[in-house]
Amino acid sequence: MTLHDQGHDQWTAKLSEFLDDELTPDERYAVESHLQGCAACTAVLDELKQVVSRARLVTPRPPQADLWPGIAEKLESEAAPAAIIPMRSRAAWRVTFTLPQLAAASVLIAVMSGGFVWSLRNRAETRSAQASRSSNPETPVAAIADSMEREASAERAVVPVGLADAQYDAAVTDLERALKDGRGKLDPTTITIVEHNLQTIDEAIRQAREALAADPANSYLSGHLVEARRRKLDLLRRAAALTSESD
Amino acid sequence: MTLNGEALVQNPIESDVALAARGDSSAFERLYRTHVTRIHSLTRRMLGSHVADEVTQDIFVRTWQKLSQFRGESQFSTWLHRLAINVVIERRRTYAVQRGRMSDDPSALDTITVAPARADLRVDFEAAIEQLPAGAREIFVLHDVEGHKHREIADMLGITSGTSKRQLHRARMLMRKHLGGL
Repeated sequence: MTLHDQGHDQWTAKLSEFLDDELTPDERYAVESHLQGCAACTAVLDELKQVVSRARLVTPRPPQADLWPGIAEKLESEAAPAAIIPMRSRAAWRVTFTLPQLAAASVLIAVMSGGFVWSLRNRAETRSAQASRSSNPETPVAAIADSMEREASAERAVVPVGLADAQYDAAVTDLERALKDGRGKLDPTTITIVEHNLQTIDEAIRQAREALAADPANSYLSGHLVEARRRKLDLLRRAAALTSESD
Repeated sequence: MTLNGEALVQNPIESDVALAARGDSSAFERLYRTHVTRIHSLTRRMLGSHVADEVTQDIFVRTWQKLSQFRGESQFSTWLHRLAINVVIERRRTYAVQRGRMSDDPSALDTITVAPARADLRVDFEAAIEQLPAGAREIFVLHDVEGHKHREIADMLGITSGTSKRQLHRARMLMRKHLGGL
């Protein structure tokens, strides 16, 4: 290792903390000053940024085989979970949600009803159209919260699935628009990854829907559809966040 | 934005957690189907594909056993995720003892074949993660993929934040080397 390399190592060792904004102001200033005159360290920093961007866009993949039979077999030898500790009383709960969490919750609510929901799809779509007209189309997630609160006050046991479907679509549309608007701020590799993953997820959603149409009571397929839609929302949210960070 | 607990009663996840805690295996299967992808991905990235299925099954069996301890103070997914990380860390320690030492050879990353024409960027990147040295890999996954802070990672792994930062930088530099053709 040359003296020149040793000098670079001293600076590159700080680049991850620089990237994560974890240096003290003095250290940050020193790194920034060095970067202004060092093309090699600047190149390393750019490559580290690409690694971090790629890591954020990694999407979960399901196992290749269904693992449930093996789990169910083990559960059979287990007694039901014992010594149940009551969950906190409903009145004491006060939970704060972020907007993406609410959007993701709407996806789960929309699809977890499985085959029963599927068979009611036409009726639900009619209800969602009515709900969409009464909601602010620019704040779909707020509309989800409003609908949840209305449902709570009415003490109804079933969430209107069609409404949540419409709001999932609205949330996806909003995020897709944000991504489209910020596309120019992302590097080409990131765009390629996002588009590739979106295509994969969209294909999974399409296949799950087709299969559910043929077998609407299949809970395994319902679970896959839920997960695929959640993954799409999560990926769009991450990608949109990247465009914001690039501002 | 704040909602009161009444709204949550209708959340199917919360309902299934309550049912499963009372022994309803169908409700627990629904919880499994909703969360298996994320848990399996975490397990695969932290421990490798060869054990991911078996460890994922173990995580869900342990979840079933411990459901009575879930008090609803956090989201179920957060609670499950933390339980999964604990199982993964425990397994890694077991494997380390069995092998006598951690596989901590950075040169392992050099053995990965770069996918031709970047046919599947996602798989290629995941393959590179799996080839990272164990210590660097788990911190890279927890920080850059799962979004945990160094302080949280330090608590989980019983290390200092400084060690977490150094291992993360090491992992990123190795990943950068592998992905240099980007």
